[in-house]
Amino acid sequence: MSVAAAAVASLHRLVPMAEHGTDDQGYTSHHWLFPETAEIIYGGLASVIIIGLLVWKAGPAAKKAFAARTAKIQGELDDSAKARSDAEAEAARIRQALGDIEGERRRLLAEADAQAEAMLTDGRARLVTEVADLEAKAESDVGAAGSRVFDELRGEIARLSSAAAERVVAGSLDDATQQRLIEDYIARVGASA
Amino acid sequence: MSDEARIDGYARGLFEVARAEGTLDEVEDELFRFARSYESSDELRQALSDDQIPPAKRQSIVEDLLGGKATPTTVQLISMVVGAGHGRDLPAIVDRMVQRAASSKDLELAEVRAAVPLTDEQQVRLKAALANATGKNVNLKVVVDPSVLGGLVATVGDTVIDGTVRTHLDQLKSRL
Repeated sequence: MSVAAAAVASLHRLVPMAEHGTDDQGYTSHHWLFPETAEIIYGGLASVIIIGLLVWKAGPAAKKAFAARTAKIQGELDDSAKARSDAEAEAARIRQALGDIEGERRRLLAEADAQAEAMLTDGRARLVTEVADLEAKAESDVGAAGSRVFDELRGEIARLSSAAAERVVAGSLDDATQQRLIEDYIARVGASA
Repeated sequence: MSDEARIDGYARGLFEVARAEGTLDEVEDELFRFARSYESSDELRQALSDDQIPPAKRQSIVEDLLGGKATPTTVQLISMVVGAGHGRDLPAIVDRMVQRAASSKDLELAEVRAAVPLTDEQQVRLKAALANATGKNVNLKVVVDPSVLGGLVATVGDTVIDGTVRTHLDQLKSRL
């Protein structure tokens, strides 16, 4: 009989005794709570044996199971700590990356501002140069046009003057003048040896 | 045959014929005058160099123009050149022939252009003056060229002695 069965049987016996002091068969106990001495001894020995067997046979397995569970829990705790560490590292990396992105954004903006400023400065300088060139070209064109008009006018005056001079000279070249020119030529050539 | 070789060949032929005829001085003078007339007359140049006009017709034009005014040798030589279809080369051929004639007499050709004709006495004095100025005996050829307006211009070899009114007017025009 197991300890539990003995305990149940004792209770069955005790309850009626507690209520009636005897059981349904008429047996009585010496005390409504405590069993007989022998029963206590047998029960105690049986309990000791049962407990000893349990400690002897199931103890290592239970200890091993507890150790395994402890190790598992420890592992889970370690995993959790590692996961947390990893998460914190990832968070730090993300924060770092965010910082880098912000720095890159600022660098790009600064670079864009510098390029825009350079382009603006270059554009202004080129514009000033082009305006100066246009002004110089305009002045040159005006000067050239004036010079061309002046040259044309001078050429026309020269042409008219030449034509007038030719007419005047041709009209004055009578026979006497022609002969005088011939004689002058012969005299000049003859004297030029 | 190149143009130069052809011109030189015709010039040599004209020169040899005139010299053989014993009329070199007359013929070269008449050829020279005709060449200058040819240069100055568009109508004459057109008539004698037009390939559409038959050679016989061109030769008859020459004979009509020079008949009785030039020696037969001159007329025949010009007719030969024109009939052969080389009318446009006539001035060059004649100039080369005159050069050859002058060289054969150790003379340098002196081409003188004047607005009015020179008297024989003026030509003698001019010839002497040019010989004095250039140091060469010259064969004087006078061309009446109204475009010079007045005065004379003489070309002796590479030397040009210009005393024309035309040149003075051109210089005045340049200065203007």
